[in-house]
Amino acid sequence: MRRSPVILILLAVILPACIQEGEVQVVKLPPRDMVEQLKLGEIDAFVAWEPFVSEAVVNGYGKIMATSHDIWPNHPCCVVAAQKNVDKDILTAIVWAHVKATRFINDERNKDKVIEYATEFTGKDRSVVEEALKRIKFVEYPDKDMFKKYYEKLKENKYLTKSPQDLGYENEDEFFKDFLDDSVYREVIENLSKNESWIPKKVNATVRMGYLTADLHQLAFYVALKESYYEDVGLNIVKKEYVNGVFEMEGFKQNEIDVGYLGGSPATLKRVNDDVKIKIIAGANNEGSAIVVRSDISNPNDLAGKKIAIPGYGTVQDFLLRLFVEKNGLKLR
Amino acid sequence: MRILSLLISLALWYFISFFTEIPPPHEVFYKFLFLIIYEEPILGKTLIQHAEASLFRVLIASTVAFALAIPLGIFAGWSRNIREIIIPIVEVLRPIPPLAWIPLAYIIFAKLPNTVQVSQLYIVFVGAFFPCVVTVFDSARNVPEELIEMAKVYRANDWMVLRHIVLPHSLQGILTGIRVGLGVGWMSIIAAEMIASSVEGLGYFILTMYEVGGRSAEIVSGIAMIGLIGYIMNYIFIRLERVLIPWR
Repeated sequence: MRRSPVILILLAVILPACIQEGEVQVVKLPPRDMVEQLKLGEIDAFVAWEPFVSEAVVNGYGKIMATSHDIWPNHPCCVVAAQKNVDKDILTAIVWAHVKATRFINDERNKDKVIEYATEFTGKDRSVVEEALKRIKFVEYPDKDMFKKYYEKLKENKYLTKSPQDLGYENEDEFFKDFLDDSVYREVIENLSKNESWIPKKVNATVRMGYLTADLHQLAFYVALKESYYEDVGLNIVKKEYVNGVFEMEGFKQNEIDVGYLGGSPATLKRVNDDVKIKIIAGANNEGSAIVVRSDISNPNDLAGKKIAIPGYGTVQDFLLRLFVEKNGLKLR
Repeated sequence: MRILSLLISLALWYFISFFTEIPPPHEVFYKFLFLIIYEEPILGKTLIQHAEASLFRVLIASTVAFALAIPLGIFAGWSRNIREIIIPIVEVLRPIPPLAWIPLAYIIFAKLPNTVQVSQLYIVFVGAFFPCVVTVFDSARNVPEELIEMAKVYRANDWMVLRHIVLPHSLQGILTGIRVGLGVGWMSIIAAEMIASSVEGLGYFILTMYEVGGRSAEIVSGIAMIGLIGYIMNYIFIRLERVLIPWR
């Protein structure tokens, strides 16, 4: 049998180049696979949304190295985004249902029901969702200044290939005024503050709604469905599930969905890079993610040379990992 | 004529880029050079490093594929009994596209560490193995009968026939088999990297650039690198054929 010397020479050149020490290796995985792969030892750590963090911890597959609260306190996370051409009455109906659902979740009196819904929505055990809910702050609209940090950091890390000017805005302020559009939200809360049982007019419309796989941050969406808030305003919801926010933005781009729950980072990233014409009409949650590591890893420096999974590049979790790595003087590969 | 062909291609490219979001040639050329020298900020690697990762996978898996395919092809071509066992199996498995094996590969290798990587290597193995075994088999089977009969008249044993007649006669088939196998293996790894999470590699690079968005020049640069490496591999083997079997 003939072995080409060329192949051997190429191997000799290539082999050393493939061995890299001292850097954190990043892999992309759907969060539902992360827990399993951590258990099997295929990965050493992961960054995910709840309830996957709590699932790994409660089952003893790993421990939390840093919560997203530790990395960036009170950071905005998931939001509700809508295509820019969606009718205002429909947006009002959606935001109303979302606000009602968020207030339902935050009302202590509904604790048991919320846990029940969370268990159904994520398919995880009660013990897991109870633990997970402790780390999520359900909100109605993100803090705009904090949200802008996504943009600043994405720009700094060279994720963004375009500027607001390329998208036809005069400057960043004008871009954010259009992108973080809280006008409908303000109207809804104003009406609700006057009359708690106010219901906007029925729209009798079908809305295609995107959301992420078993993402507890987006519980308000499930609560709105179960508590019939969408029905109350005449909305027929067609659900579409995505594995991460970047893919959901692809869904917006390909016009598969009208409205969607997704992370603030992918929403900003693809709004700018691909000029996907969406706006943020409401917030869903702050915090609620964490870096989970194998039990034998005890400090950030131990992550050097280890394999860590994220749901995708440009996701909130990728963003948090980059902040964490930067803070601890590590490098990503 | 070659210059004319190049000019026509470039003109066509400019024309298409004028109407679509595909970046024009000069922009891609600049980005290609940039990515060869500097690390792309998201994945933190140069285009060369991604190409090395893909090439490394292809060479490992193809070497294993050829180490099995070449002897198997020769024995099948040389012995009727072996042929009747092996060739029906090869003919049934050969039309299955390498990528169709991906889900099954995950199941087969689930117990091994690095299932994803092993599965990718397996997909390249499948891609490289079948074209090689078929080409080698064809050339080994077409050894002129009279040559073998003449050798037997001179009391040559089976080993001598294999060593001095069948093998040299199959050399062309072996080299062509390796060349074609590498080509198919190269196509398979790019697709396998796009499907699974690979950390690095040209397929992974292209898909990640698409996901993050706004990076058409990077995507086209990655595609150009795939084409360039495929071309170089093919070129090396054609030259090698000329050196090793000059009588052809």
